[in-house]
Amino acid sequence: MSPLLTDILILLAKVFLIVNGLLMAAAYLVYFERKISAWAHNRIGPNRVGPLGLFQSFADVFKLYLKEDIIPTLADKKLHFIAPIISIGVAMAVYAVIPFGDSFMVGGKEVFMSVAPGVNIGLLFVFAMSSVGVYGITLAGWSSNNKYSLLGGLRSAAQMISYELSMGLSIIGVLMIAGSLDLTQIVHAQAGGKWNIFLQPLAFIIFLVASFAETNRTPFDLPEAEPELVGGYHTEYSGMKFGLFFLAEYANMVTASAMMVLLFLGGWEMPGLYEALALPAGSPLVALVQFGVFAAKLVPILFFFIWVRWSLPRFRYDQLMNLGWKVMLPLALANIVITGIVMTLLKHYGIM
Amino acid sequence: MNVNHNTEKDRLNFWEKLYLPEIARGLGLTLRQMFKKPMTRQYPEERWEPTGSYRGRPVLVLEEDGERCVACSLCSRVCPALAIEVQAAETTKEKERYPVKFEINMLRCIYCGFCEEVCPEEAIVMSKDYELIFTNQEDAILGKDKLLIPIAQLQDRLEFLRRFK
Amino acid sequence: MPQITIDGQRIETSAGKTIIEAALDNGIDIPHFCWHPGLSVSGNCRMCLVNTGFPRKSADGSLERDENGGNVINWGPKLAIACATPVADGMVIDTQGQRTEHAQNAIMEFLLINHPLDCPICDEAGECKLQEYAFLHSKGQSRYNEKKNHKDKRVELGPNVMFDGERCISCSRCIRFADEVAKQPVLTFVQRGDHVTIETFPGTTFDSPYSMNVNDICPVGALTSMDFRFASRVWEMSFTDSICPGCSRGCNIKVGVRNNEILRLEPRTNMHVNEYWMCDNARLTQYKFVNENRISSPMIRKGNTLVSASWQEATSQAADLLKKFKPSEIMVVGSARATNEDNYLLAKFAHNTIKTNNIDFLRHIDNSFSDNSLRTNDRTPNAHGAVEVGVKHEQPSGVSMSNLAERIKQRSIKALYVMDGDIAANSSLTDALDDLDCLIVHATNHNSTTERAHVVLASTTYAELEGTFTNLNKRVQYVQPAVATQDHERIEGMQMSRWDKFGAPNDRWARGERRNCRQNWEIVQDIANMLGAGWHYTNSENVFKDISNHVSAFSGMSYDLLQEFQGLTLGKAGSPEPKGVVYQSNYMKPN
Repeated sequence: MSPLLTDILILLAKVFLIVNGLLMAAAYLVYFERKISAWAHNRIGPNRVGPLGLFQSFADVFKLYLKEDIIPTLADKKLHFIAPIISIGVAMAVYAVIPFGDSFMVGGKEVFMSVAPGVNIGLLFVFAMSSVGVYGITLAGWSSNNKYSLLGGLRSAAQMISYELSMGLSIIGVLMIAGSLDLTQIVHAQAGGKWNIFLQPLAFIIFLVASFAETNRTPFDLPEAEPELVGGYHTEYSGMKFGLFFLAEYANMVTASAMMVLLFLGGWEMPGLYEALALPAGSPLVALVQFGVFAAKLVPILFFFIWVRWSLPRFRYDQLMNLGWKVMLPLALANIVITGIVMTLLKHYGIM
Repeated sequence: MNVNHNTEKDRLNFWEKLYLPEIARGLGLTLRQMFKKPMTRQYPEERWEPTGSYRGRPVLVLEEDGERCVACSLCSRVCPALAIEVQAAETTKEKERYPVKFEINMLRCIYCGFCEEVCPEEAIVMSKDYELIFTNQEDAILGKDKLLIPIAQLQDRLEFLRRFK
Repeated sequence: MPQITIDGQRIETSAGKTIIEAALDNGIDIPHFCWHPGLSVSGNCRMCLVNTGFPRKSADGSLERDENGGNVINWGPKLAIACATPVADGMVIDTQGQRTEHAQNAIMEFLLINHPLDCPICDEAGECKLQEYAFLHSKGQSRYNEKKNHKDKRVELGPNVMFDGERCISCSRCIRFADEVAKQPVLTFVQRGDHVTIETFPGTTFDSPYSMNVNDICPVGALTSMDFRFASRVWEMSFTDSICPGCSRGCNIKVGVRNNEILRLEPRTNMHVNEYWMCDNARLTQYKFVNENRISSPMIRKGNTLVSASWQEATSQAADLLKKFKPSEIMVVGSARATNEDNYLLAKFAHNTIKTNNIDFLRHIDNSFSDNSLRTNDRTPNAHGAVEVGVKHEQPSGVSMSNLAERIKQRSIKALYVMDGDIAANSSLTDALDDLDCLIVHATNHNSTTERAHVVLASTTYAELEGTFTNLNKRVQYVQPAVATQDHERIEGMQMSRWDKFGAPNDRWARGERRNCRQNWEIVQDIANMLGAGWHYTNSENVFKDISNHVSAFSGMSYDLLQEFQGLTLGKAGSPEPKGVVYQSNYMKPN
């Protein structure tokens, strides 16, 4: 096999794994969302399809496939068709740069644990992509030719732009510490327990809150606020097009959680674990453990996302904007300044 | 009395304005709930037997010598959803009037129990029957054949009415 | 002219009137059971007891004043019955005060002692005076713990009147009606005290042609109609003002409809026509033909059978058929059962569109039907009106009903356009109709004429149309639709019961048949327009305006005036007879 062909095959395999893995993750996230909400309500939750209701998500997706796809007569048909594709496409594209671990050696070839390893603007790519996600929602709202959809779309655009600012500013401290936009580098910078959550607690909180807003989750789910806007931007969507929006939302949730793990929780780093295991460097086993550590950090954050949804009421729109512009933005700016001052001082005194 | 709620005492203080403590409390509450025993009943397998106070499907009381109903149409008149249609006819019994047709449209019925309350003969009562499944609109219109229930099966409700009506 | 004061209201009335009459004239209703404006006064129910008195005068003859400047009243030692006490100048009457109310409560308590209170079973519920007064003038509590009297139930006083002794409150209205109005004095009280009941004299039965009026005037459910017994609750029906089409008297009636089906007819007060009454024959026969055996859509003859057709098909078929004949070969037959509007347009159709002078209508004379009370020998409601608006034999050239059969045999009449009525039932015409080349019939019911017809146009009965009838005294009276057709589901102003208002297509109680029939003038207009008439009448009122503009006898009349005065006499629209105060027996019954 030529090296090029091998590279292409490895790449395809990774893409296959990530796309399917992500869809599965999104599907089961829905299952867990339903289960956790049930527990919070003293209910049982889905338990009919398969053991413990584990196949419920497949039944849901199957149902969505079979449902009639309705396009409103006065809708902009092309945009109406494209909008969900943008949403899900962008949500998946982000995973090109997200690393799940370092690399391992197979047959003398180094295989990286991400689709596009070593992208030096990885973080920027993630933010760029998640911004494009707004298009999906706004276009859906616009093209449906429905006042509720339009309101939902507009709210979503305003909300995302507002919170993207503080989100972007909040991680500048992280970047200053790591000195790189490459996500792998950022993870490596947190090795040895120097997790950014301890170094940048304020940035973490801002990032967390902004993530909720970016993924349209409660308490910031104004774009699809059911009591006021029916279904928000997806009011006029049915069948699998609606399903795509649904999947995109959960995929975004996984993305946001993964970003938190990578940026603040040290990614797959775990002080003392790898030393204790004493596995040979570059072995696939190490990669597996790294992925396990990554997942173990990811799951509690996902749980937190769901937990918050079933605990907190929705913000009012003015409250949302107040929080974004009057609280989070100044705090994020302050965080940059403080980080800069502290780092300069530390450098000056030679501690760092 | 002039109550001014916007006093110094009533305004939120710094911690309250931060929301975070309250959010934490709220999260704590839901977390506690997650470890409680679910109250859900696994419906088709586990069924619930309602008490006498339950207002299920309205039915007509059937005694040994026929129905109690005298077709006075008061239930029909009082029904806010116009679910009941009665057609009276004459019999040779002591109560010279009986319903030749008594139909309740269960698609219209709202289970308010007014029919039971207004009935001068205690002839229509709310049963415990809550499982009403129809496959078309015509089936949802129940006639005398489905409405007449032997009095022995309605003792709980009649006892409830005797005590609390 | 005596001046009296009732409940503080000063009233000028005429001498000789009783208090209850004077009050009624001024819109004050004094509770009563036995009194009826159409019957003599018996004064035995005591419900109309009122407190009466006169202003006290001082020794010098001036009226004494109390501290507020009002008159000091010398109230009578006991209450007086308003139905039998004549008014006197200066009399002061109190119908609502404590003393009167106390008396009313006491009377109600007495009456309810032996009343079975079986309202759920009783047909009168909803239109029962006793029930209404129990709401309005009773304490709602009984102190009577003993056993109630039991009397005979379900006694057939006559073929149409069922008597229930327990419910009877012994007001004697039915006895006085039989004596005074029906002139068949067979009813009487028997027994005494609380055992009193009503019976027919041995060997007699109360079968007067007006016997069913006692069911209406009975203030309780003691007398009920055998025809209507348990058919429906009154509150489930709508009652529409109408005119009885049974004979040329034109009795004012109310049509009781439930689920688009007429269940009963009852008289409506009109002091100039039928007073408070109507005949049993009308009650028993004049609604069934609206419900049964109807022609529910237009029909065209194909071969030997009549098949349903659309209005477009049927009317164009009729127009095409008429085009084939010379005007002189066509005879147009109007109808005394149709309205003035229908006959007017038919006459216009014959004279201006077909241009024939062969026009007449068939009279339905039955001398055995008439009596010297309400019933007349002309069994149609509008013979006068038909003649007045132009449906009459054109002397000398026109064909009349009497020589029609002969002309058909001679083949000088080949086509017949019959607006309404079963002319084949007339023995002289039965065979002749078979010789026609073309027979176009407007019909409401299947009959021997429609069997022979080439085109049958489904027309409305009196209960489904808006229009006017002219009775034998030339009084024009207004009829409005009580039953919905496919064309007119809900005409503005149509009386609707709660069920009519809220019924949906999936309610079985709202699915009464709507027939695809139209008013005669609408059908005539469609055919006339196909023959080039160019008429644009949109409703019956348009046609009637045309009549009042072109027919001198109708000048000055309008639907509004006809409704206001309950009918106007031909040629005297300018000086209508006053309608007077209409006596209403019940307050809570739906109209």
